[in-house]
Amino acid sequence: MTELRRSGLAFGAVMRRDLHVYLSYRTRIVSQVLTPVFSLTLFYYVSRLVHVSGFPSPASYFGFVVVGIALISVLYSCFSISEMVRQELVAGTFERLLLSPFGAMRGVVAMTLFPLFNAILLAALTLGIGCALFGLQLHWATVPLSLPALALALLSFLPFGLLFAALAVATKQGSMGTSWVIALISIVGGLYFPLTLLPEWAQTASHLQPFTPATELLRHLLVDSPLQTSTVTAIAKLVGFAALLLPASLFALHHAIRLGQRRGTIIEY
Amino acid sequence: MTSHSLQAPALVGEPLAPTLVEKTVVSATPADNAIPLVLRGVHKRWHKSQAPVLEGVDLTLDLGTSTWVGGRNGAGKTTLLRIAAGLIDPDRGRAQVWGYTAAENRSRYQRLLALLPAGDRGLYARLTVRHQLRFWARIAMLDPAQVQAKVEETIEAFELSELAERRVDRLSMGQRQRLRIAMTFLTEPEIVLLDEPLTSLDAEGAEVLERAIGGLMAREGTLLWCSPSGEHLDRHFDARWVLAEGRLVAE
Repeated sequence: MTELRRSGLAFGAVMRRDLHVYLSYRTRIVSQVLTPVFSLTLFYYVSRLVHVSGFPSPASYFGFVVVGIALISVLYSCFSISEMVRQELVAGTFERLLLSPFGAMRGVVAMTLFPLFNAILLAALTLGIGCALFGLQLHWATVPLSLPALALALLSFLPFGLLFAALAVATKQGSMGTSWVIALISIVGGLYFPLTLLPEWAQTASHLQPFTPATELLRHLLVDSPLQTSTVTAIAKLVGFAALLLPASLFALHHAIRLGQRRGTIIEY
Repeated sequence: MTSHSLQAPALVGEPLAPTLVEKTVVSATPADNAIPLVLRGVHKRWHKSQAPVLEGVDLTLDLGTSTWVGGRNGAGKTTLLRIAAGLIDPDRGRAQVWGYTAAENRSRYQRLLALLPAGDRGLYARLTVRHQLRFWARIAMLDPAQVQAKVEETIEAFELSELAERRVDRLSMGQRQRLRIAMTFLTEPEIVLLDEPLTSLDAEGAEVLERAIGGLMAREGTLLWCSPSGEHLDRHFDARWVLAEGRLVAE
């Protein structure tokens, strides 16, 4: 129990460290607040300019896209872990993690916490701005259920971040491929437009990753969008992806670190 | 292969790491289980086309002893320390703390041993000195009840009080080095490995380091200090070796 408590406190220390570092860059906070304001403004007018088939009104497409915009920040946070690991490698602080009883594995997992909490706050802010400035109608009866759904979604997204962190440890490159992967996910995950617009093969591909069921489920809970499948199916998909991908990504990270230690390249950057 | 061993200590392991000594480790000899830090037949080659940087290095560090390893730049001192610290693996041979390799029990290995890496890296530029020490205490998994007191004690012992609220990127190189040394000693490790610890230190900083080493020796700890052969060191070491062509030879 003591060991578990110490481990929990170490996770908390990594979060506090990241919070202190984040707060030390004050303009970053302003930038993070302004980004959703401008994104929502852009899509508010796009929703009024273009008639999208399948949406009865501009407001319904705007509601659809706001949830996508909120989720994209969560995606960016998941994929930012690899860049954080690279910064740690360059600063020599990754070496400190390796030399600590807490260890690099737990250290990297702990590094995901602050960006994810930050992204959740940002997602909430995006929805809040949507409501306050652009008249977004949330489906309040099911909004509280979106929190456990989001937690489940994060568990299925996180493995992608950990896999890229493993790549960063192995290749010493932080953002290798992350931007095109995020762009691809935003298309096949249906973040900005409905999947029915995609070719059939792309629609099939969209079901092979957790972002589509997560986006659909959260949209359903937040703005009452109709689900393509049942709620249970969407949840089962997310549980399945998390159960399959989390151990796989932790295994990959562990082996990337051990390979670096065997070759001696773990201290390179 | 050159083999060097210091005299066996009067007290072998028990007061410092009883739990480690109790466990049977197949890969270690019984004698190695009772020694704080042992390197056996350590080989490391960085590139296939190059000569090995370490070629069958044996080193035994007993309780309450201090050892200096010198050598020219690029002789392999830092590689030796990194292997001893469990940071990287040797190609052949092993490094053991109380009979354990880092791979066998990494958490315990890192609890018992601390490394001060060479250079000025390993600090979070945007954290204050106090935050840095508190963070290190937490990931070193110190007893939660002791963290606060330990951090304050370290700030005082390493004369960092005036700098405690200052961010690391606003410290001079010597002040950063003092903080790095403070982090190394904060957890009161049994085994301390120092890689060129005097870098950027002024006379006061060197004195603070000397006091910390004095404290380590007083609690029967073990010290391994690596620095280039040309560096003039006044302090007394129980053993002095030079690393040359991958092997340790008596100075």
